[in-house]
Amino acid sequence: MLNYSFMQNALFVSVFISILCPCIGIFLVLRRYSMIGDTLSHASLAGITIGLLCDQSPVLGAFIFTSICGALIEFLRTYLKKYTDLILTIVLSLSVGIAITIISSGKLHANADSFLFGSVLTVTEFDMITVLVLSMISVLTLIFLYNQMLYIAYDEEAAKIAGVKVKLINYVFSILVASAISVSIRIVGVLVLSSMIALPVATALQLGKGFKLTLAFSIVFSVVDILSGLFISYDLNVAPGGFTALVSVVVLVVVILVRRIASQVKIKTS
Amino acid sequence: MFLTIQAKGLYFSYTVSAPYILDGIDFEIKDGDYISILGENGCGKSTLMKLILKLLKPTKGTIVTNADHIGYVPQKNDFSNANFPITVYEMLNAYRRLLKIKNKEAILEVLDRVGMNPFMDSLMGTLSGGQCQKIFIARALMGKPDLLILDEPSTGVDIGSQKEVYRFLKEINKKNGITIVSVEHNLDAAISNSTLIYHLSGGKGHLCTPEKYTAEFLKNEQ
Repeated sequence: MLNYSFMQNALFVSVFISILCPCIGIFLVLRRYSMIGDTLSHASLAGITIGLLCDQSPVLGAFIFTSICGALIEFLRTYLKKYTDLILTIVLSLSVGIAITIISSGKLHANADSFLFGSVLTVTEFDMITVLVLSMISVLTLIFLYNQMLYIAYDEEAAKIAGVKVKLINYVFSILVASAISVSIRIVGVLVLSSMIALPVATALQLGKGFKLTLAFSIVFSVVDILSGLFISYDLNVAPGGFTALVSVVVLVVVILVRRIASQVKIKTS
Repeated sequence: MFLTIQAKGLYFSYTVSAPYILDGIDFEIKDGDYISILGENGCGKSTLMKLILKLLKPTKGTIVTNADHIGYVPQKNDFSNANFPITVYEMLNAYRRLLKIKNKEAILEVLDRVGMNPFMDSLMGTLSGGQCQKIFIARALMGKPDLLILDEPSTGVDIGSQKEVYRFLKEINKKNGITIVSVEHNLDAAISNSTLIYHLSGGKGHLCTPEKYTAEFLKNEQ
């Protein structure tokens, strides 16, 4: 199957997704912001439709619009501190409203459905360059801000006292989330994208390790989930997004069961 | 004696208008003092601490500190991130980098001071209340602070560890001259450890010695 150029393109993008998503996801999950990932992945649909409407790259459209939505969430948090779930509803309504209005207007010259479920056939060369550039910038930014982001996630007050510019970094982080989402939408699709951000991290958390090892295991699980999802979905002729989500859930359940069995065996033998 | 913290006509309200939690308070804390802030729940103790730490801005008035570096020890029970996947070393190392301390030995030094070297590779979530508190004190000591602020250091900590923690705080206050401001609910520890007590009630504050506090305030309450 790797003789086909579309599968080579899909594999190229998948590798970047499987590294970038857990790197962003670990901070979202540990800050209890998993639902922001879900909201922004739905918001990306509006960016895709705007991109298609303007005859521009939908991936670029998704990145710009999702970044704006991420910044909007951060901005609204200042005013609606106690209602973060309400903020997500507002942003979700705005973006899905835009997407549905554009799709139903009949003015789109392309099909937006493939972005909902994910497709290996639609990855273009321009998408690959966009994915490469966004991923590289995101990973470098994450390395540069690693300690600040780790501390904001672990103990925001201590981070502020140590002089970390928490608000600024939160805005930068919103853009990183937008980047991870726009990189992933081609293959995974809007509907299950948040699972790629949260599930490999949730699986790695079951192992009870420190931060760096949890991050490393998140990437390993993400690579396993996304690549097996890609190849098996090709064989079964189903959308890769949905199948990858299923693989992620299965891997999570297997790891939970293995951990339980291992701990019971340990109790019995001790 | 140099002035460390000074509050002048300090008002604070979370709604930016009256009623004020802190209603025009004034105080001065000098270098080397060990101050315990006492008062009933909701009287504004933690708010005052956050104002000193600049985590909140005064509604009116000023609060200034000329401390070069402030160390902060959070309340153990306030710490909802108990299951965060982070080891003691990772937590201290990230903080060292935030403070731009180049010497990695700084981690071992502070762990050594609180006697927690053997726990360097332990997950934070697996530590007891007392061990956790010692690690947070170790973190606060990184960067050699001249002011240490603690939020109820004995909450969620067993009695044996409480004694160790207070003995250590008294020692670093006396030997190293670190000014300590501690929000307290542990009256005995406050009276035996502090050089001064700041009593908050009804938005107003009163600074006095532990002896005077025992003689006046506690007698009135009885």
